[in-house]
Amino acid sequence: MDHDGRREFGPGKVEPPPRSGLSRRRFLSLMGATAALATGTGCPGRGQVAPLTRAVEGTQPGVPGFYASAFQEALSSYSVLVKTREGRPIHIEGNDAHPTSKGKTSLRAIAEVLRLYDPDRLARPLVEGRPVTWADADGRVVPILLEARQRSRPVLLVTGAVRSPSTRALIADLGKALPGMKHVAWEPTVGDGELEALAACFGEVRRARPLPERAHVIVSFEADFLGPDRPEAVAGFVSNRPESALDARMNRLYVFEGGVSLTGAVADHRFRLPPSRAAAVIFALANALHGNGVPLPTSVDPRWLVPFDLERIGRESGAAPGPLMGVVSDLEREQGRSLVMAGTALPGEAHVACHLLNAMLGSEGRTLDASRESPLGLASWRELATVFKDAASGRFAAVVFWGTNPAYTWPDAGLWRSVVAGVAFKATIGSLADETAAVSQVVLPENHWLESWGDHETATDMLCLQQPAIAPLYDTLQAEEILLRWAKALGASVPASYHDHVKTLWRKQVWPSGSPVPFERFWQAALHDGVAGREVPPAPARAFSGGAVAAAARAAADRPAGVLELIAVPAVGVFDGRHANSGWLQELPDPITKLTWGNGALVSPADASRYGLTDGDLVRLETRGAATDLPVVVQPGQAPGVVTVAMGYGRRTGAVARGVGASVFPLLDAGSGSPHLRYGVALSPLGRRVPLPFAQRHGRLEGRDIVRHFSLADDADKLRRLTAHPVAELASLYPDQKYPEHKWGMAIDLTRCTGCSTCVIACQSENNIACVGPEQVVKGREMHWMRIDRYYEGGVDNPWVLFQPMLCQQCDNAPCETVCPVYATNHSTDGLNQMVYNRCVGTRYCGNNCPYRVRRFNFLEFTASKREPESLVFNPEVTVRPRGVMEKCTFCIQRIQDARQRAKVEGRTLGDGEIVPACAAACPARAIVFGDLKDPSSRVARLSLDERGYKVLEELGAKPSVTYLARISNSLGGRG
Amino acid sequence: MATTTTSLPPELVPEPLSTGPVTAGSLDDQVLAFPDRPPPLKWFVALAFTLGCFAVGALLIVYTICTGIGVWGNNRPVFWGFDIINFVFWIGIGHAGTLISAILFLFRARWRNAIARFAEAMTIFAVMCAGIFPLIHVGRPWLAFWLFPYPNQRGIWPNFRSPLMWDVFAVNTYFSVSLMFWYLGLVPDLASLRDRTRPGFRKVIYAILSLGWRGSATHWLHFEKAYLLLAGLATGLVLSVHSVVSFDFAVSLVPGWHMTIFPPYFVTGAIFAGFAMVVIVLVVVRESMDLGNLITLRHLDLMNKVILGTSCLMGYSYLMEAFTAWYSMNPFLHHTFRQYVAGTYWWAGWICIGCNILAPQLFWVPKWRRSYPVMLFVALAVTVGMWFERFVIIVISLSQDYLPSSWHVYWPTPVDFGILLGSFGLFFSLVLLFARVLPIIATTEVKAALQGAQPGHEGVAS
Repeated sequence: MDHDGRREFGPGKVEPPPRSGLSRRRFLSLMGATAALATGTGCPGRGQVAPLTRAVEGTQPGVPGFYASAFQEALSSYSVLVKTREGRPIHIEGNDAHPTSKGKTSLRAIAEVLRLYDPDRLARPLVEGRPVTWADADGRVVPILLEARQRSRPVLLVTGAVRSPSTRALIADLGKALPGMKHVAWEPTVGDGELEALAACFGEVRRARPLPERAHVIVSFEADFLGPDRPEAVAGFVSNRPESALDARMNRLYVFEGGVSLTGAVADHRFRLPPSRAAAVIFALANALHGNGVPLPTSVDPRWLVPFDLERIGRESGAAPGPLMGVVSDLEREQGRSLVMAGTALPGEAHVACHLLNAMLGSEGRTLDASRESPLGLASWRELATVFKDAASGRFAAVVFWGTNPAYTWPDAGLWRSVVAGVAFKATIGSLADETAAVSQVVLPENHWLESWGDHETATDMLCLQQPAIAPLYDTLQAEEILLRWAKALGASVPASYHDHVKTLWRKQVWPSGSPVPFERFWQAALHDGVAGREVPPAPARAFSGGAVAAAARAAADRPAGVLELIAVPAVGVFDGRHANSGWLQELPDPITKLTWGNGALVSPADASRYGLTDGDLVRLETRGAATDLPVVVQPGQAPGVVTVAMGYGRRTGAVARGVGASVFPLLDAGSGSPHLRYGVALSPLGRRVPLPFAQRHGRLEGRDIVRHFSLADDADKLRRLTAHPVAELASLYPDQKYPEHKWGMAIDLTRCTGCSTCVIACQSENNIACVGPEQVVKGREMHWMRIDRYYEGGVDNPWVLFQPMLCQQCDNAPCETVCPVYATNHSTDGLNQMVYNRCVGTRYCGNNCPYRVRRFNFLEFTASKREPESLVFNPEVTVRPRGVMEKCTFCIQRIQDARQRAKVEGRTLGDGEIVPACAAACPARAIVFGDLKDPSSRVARLSLDERGYKVLEELGAKPSVTYLARISNSLGGRG
Repeated sequence: MATTTTSLPPELVPEPLSTGPVTAGSLDDQVLAFPDRPPPLKWFVALAFTLGCFAVGALLIVYTICTGIGVWGNNRPVFWGFDIINFVFWIGIGHAGTLISAILFLFRARWRNAIARFAEAMTIFAVMCAGIFPLIHVGRPWLAFWLFPYPNQRGIWPNFRSPLMWDVFAVNTYFSVSLMFWYLGLVPDLASLRDRTRPGFRKVIYAILSLGWRGSATHWLHFEKAYLLLAGLATGLVLSVHSVVSFDFAVSLVPGWHMTIFPPYFVTGAIFAGFAMVVIVLVVVRESMDLGNLITLRHLDLMNKVILGTSCLMGYSYLMEAFTAWYSMNPFLHHTFRQYVAGTYWWAGWICIGCNILAPQLFWVPKWRRSYPVMLFVALAVTVGMWFERFVIIVISLSQDYLPSSWHVYWPTPVDFGILLGSFGLFFSLVLLFARVLPIIATTEVKAALQGAQPGHEGVAS
């Protein structure tokens, strides 16, 4: 302690000198004594309180623990770090030890902590709807399996994608013990077109990993590769976006799509193209390139491409001829440094065309890497339909569903009903009582993945290890453990637990044989890192065989024209519906439409005026035999004739999920080969309108200089005008703020930001941000501290879509601070605009006076009324705000304080980049940079002086601490 | 009192401020008798109705406090809605009384004497109604006392930079001075009531309230001096209170609020709205209590002239505000002003112009200034229009400010309307009670304005 007693506490933490005879300390001690006497006989009414006489092993109260684990969703696996406090997971971030995701993860992985504490989770097995013990449940299932084996009747196991070597091995073991077991892995978000084209062109269903970091030109057809679930693709893509405005090295992204995706929003040129026309356009590009001398693979007959004249097809599909020719010349110039992608929803011929184009451009091995990918092992929709028909005919003695919910996702309700009728015994393994569980005799509650062991293959030579971060909250088992019990009961020789199973497999397959490191050490290191590489020879390059091109070209040429097309896309929040019970993901605004809590039928402005529709008008979408009622959302940039509907809504079970939005699955056709597309949909207005919970209701910039945007091709004068906005120093009534030590600031690069909204969820998890529900969102009372503003610029037909992450700007002359009558919001000595919740009376004046409108008010009791298990998700370092108080972004002050204290304990100064707010930590594009503006060498200080840098509404004189770096596009011929 | 012959031409003879033979005694008998007589049935019916309205509001306030501000229509960005509209509206209504009793007193406009008491009472009641809103509009009303600078062990003072703090002082000062001023004026009349009342409970109350007034010359000397001083004090407050209330808006950054014209504009509007409310209540009182001889059509005519004058000032303010907005070259401000007349709430802007600027122009016709239907129509229009003026300023400005991403419409809920109804219920309940238990006309002051009571040139009293 220093002699004056001050430095020890740091600025602002000095005990004030005693004012009168009664010092603060004395007052408190007297008050404490009084309170103790008054309440000495009573006890607070929250159950029994017992002292922690023996600490939980490995936990230190108040100190967070970090555990590496892994999360899988459909075909993607994410290596994550789980932050736990007092033994409970509270936050998830990407694992920076993972070589490709590099510390970033999907927003849905981050939201998984909420699902861990979902009150709807099943707590014990159910037989015929009655809770039973595991022994009873086994007693119900095992005899049926034994009988099936005895009478050699097959058993059907339907799962989601299996990307885990251990699980794969376990299912194989179970299959050995139960001959005739049929395992089908199916993902409702993966289209048949992709699977069938892979098989047709390469002879095996092995995806290639796109490497956008190596591509100078990227052409995407309905491929939303910059979505929130592909952090490594986002990172790769933005690595070719410039740091500085005059750095001319910049990739160019062309997107052809029917709806507006995140990828389309970021595109330098976006073409509105009905999905049915995608194959024709790709073939036309191939034809044009061939015409320019790019050789076709020998197996492809040039005559097949003759019908695809680029000029004609471009004209037919309404693409601007200039940019379309730009695609050809760019691709021709950048052979081997270009990448063409087709979305999984597209029909097979589009995928074949895409593989052909990539083969012509020599992308394989350069911008596409298939050498480290294993076969997908997925059944197509058509294959599952065949299996279901078998099941309906009574072929299977029993069916077990795990990680899949066909009662909700399977489009053909009639076939599903006959499956239910045709299989005598149905069991479901899952964590929630979903639609499929409702038709099953036995429901086996599964651990959350944060309670489970496992491994995942992110590449053939890169495995992630999944370890439990908490013991199971309920009487549940992890699914693999259940399968293991059955295998054991069937007499298979399997390890005692799934943990042992994983370990055994890793000892055999992952631990480098002959390694000097003993296995236990290797295992511990893998647990610590969460990832482990293994020596696997790269798979041989895929050889493109052009045999399928002829049929694909024929199919591309005679797609129906002029009919309404429906395309179903996974929702950014709830994906295919598996996350629909998560309030965070329901309330996450769709990055483009800004719609929360539900889906809409997205139609183009032209179609909307043709049908006389506006936002919220209910329409009925009908295909043969099925209809779904949805509210219309008029989407600028939507291709006319195309209706986009997000999957994952209209669930029939789950306290949160039930009745939110409408399901698009009944409209799909499992047998069409492109199940996510439907041609000839009938749209009929119902003449009713419903209020839609949009988180942002106005999308035009109104000519305001809020999001700066220019193109590399703009002339230098325009660049200078756009970048130089001198703002006169405004006089202030109050003295300037003094920042003796630090001045925290942020820089947000709008060129890198893809609008994916991962930061929104990370902030929600870190800062205990409430969900308010659709009724409150309609009223404009959502609580996100970090929001992504989305603006449209240009005509409604195909506007630029501009994103702007908006959070508290931590102004030096904060307008909110002067108007608070009780000093509940005030300025810290390190540049933070602090919010003292305890002091807040709730006049809301600060909210009115904030020009950025980032302050959120607790209009009702949103959070503080939560009880266990929901309350377990709260970050104990952040106050839970009661009703009646204001709240807003704090720059994650708890993380700032944490880093400062660590630096102080270690006796060093804070390093740049040591403090990472939750949003910056989650941002896959690394668009958000936080740091000390007083340190001229810090990244944030340098970026704040960048010529692209500007402050939003700088002319108001509030002196915000957040610098935005203008968005640059690489469009041909300027921003236009 | 002998009527005097005059050499003045008839058009220059001021119209008398009372009609019929009014003497000091008859005045007392007429005015001070009300507390003695049992109220008529229609009074009870009226009181039951207004108390019912008040009860609705009170229950909804309890509901709000128990549930949260979320039961109102307020949202982000429109953090303030009916709560602050009603506050500014009632504070405005509360301006006429003090203006009439203080400023017109200082200007020796003796026509004010007959209506001053009532107008002052309305001021007190309106400020009471207004005072409810800042208290209940905060998110945690049980902590609203933190807005007061009181010594506390935390060592935290309120933020004196905040206009809301200034509001707290301005409104409280205004309320206490108005209350004192009103009470001081009541003292001689309370003494008259005490003297007239038969011994009993009421007499004791009146005796206590009249503070031992005997009507001695010393009493009168002190009374007049105190009254003059308080009038001087209150005059400043009439101008300051609404100026300070306008600072809530003018000092902020919100486009449409950040205007230097706001203080005079708000004061004018307040007087305008207050006079309209006084006219409405006076017409009802004059008719229902048979006070036509004391509150004459001349009084109403003069009130209506003030309404016409302030309406013209309001028109000027609107034009000047719009000009300032246009001249500022500020695109945000341009947008806000376009919203006032052509946005989602275009009708609110036109209600303001129609009710506040156009309707009072009827008063250019002398006959209509004395016509009940016209003056009630105009006064009601002004009351509605001035409420909507606050709606325009608060809701429209907030709903579309700087970042278009935040724009959101505001629609009130039934709770909002219920609480507004409750405030009217409270106001009129208090007016009804006042009319029956206290002298509604300042008899001592009216006596001073009776014909011949004042020395004047050739016996003509001013």
